[in-house]
Amino acid sequence: MTLLNSILPFTKRPQSPAVREAGPETTVRPHYTAAPADDASAWTLTVSLPGVAKEGLSITDEAGVLTIRGERSWKRPEDWTTLHRESADAPFLLALRHDGEIDVEKIKAGFADGILTATLPKAEALKPRKIAIN
Amino acid sequence: MKITRYTYPLTQNFGRSLSPFFAHRLAGDFENQIEQLLDSVFDFNSGIGPFNTDGLFPLDIYEDEGNTYVRAELPGVDRKDIAVEVVDGNLEISATRNTGSGDNAEKISFKRVVSLPENTQTDKINASAENGVLTITLPKEEAAKPRKFTVSIN
Repeated sequence: MTLLNSILPFTKRPQSPAVREAGPETTVRPHYTAAPADDASAWTLTVSLPGVAKEGLSITDEAGVLTIRGERSWKRPEDWTTLHRESADAPFLLALRHDGEIDVEKIKAGFADGILTATLPKAEALKPRKIAIN
Repeated sequence: MKITRYTYPLTQNFGRSLSPFFAHRLAGDFENQIEQLLDSVFDFNSGIGPFNTDGLFPLDIYEDEGNTYVRAELPGVDRKDIAVEVVDGNLEISATRNTGSGDNAEKISFKRVVSLPENTQTDKINASAENGVLTITLPKEEAAKPRKFTVSIN
């Protein structure tokens, strides 16, 4: 089969999920919205993270990328048999590049019922300002 | 959160036998599944908002010896806006999510229907919500639990 694959590469099957999982970690990109806040001095970020407990949630900022990671707190007990699945077990991961356009020090975040709401203040240089005319 | 139970003794599912495939019936009706399939292929709702607005939400179904469990991902839905009803052998989960405030207020309603396994004790259904996930516990009828018999051989 290996030989056949080398001759006819298109006969190669896609990797099975088990093989893929052994490679880089599987994560799920959560649903989110980012919208300007009412006074245009900040953005409001809403991320939907069902099944994530506060302890399993981390927000980090590194090199202009804001990363939100949520581990699912619930694990299937061993004696439960799965009959039907639509959700995933993989952790949520959302990486947003902001290139210094937000003031990371002043980010405020709240988390309730699986929804993360964060206020991302714009960096001082980007805030709308009025220039007085003499 | 409110749990409503309706009993229609005459219309209970006499015709249905305990089928090994009830998991498929549990998964909702056929039309829903087709819709879901189409949505998953065409992704009509991508880019609209942070949530699926197609009225569906992910459901998982598990069972153990004594119970069947339905878990639904409903982030950002208040407990009081979740209604779990048992109607004519079906479990109906409805939820309303209120987003925005003032002029931007928006109401999105979700509903999913799951066929109950025949052996469910509908009067003992229990539900709890945590971290945006609703867990419904459906206890099985005593008789449906596997029993061990010891037969002595003389």
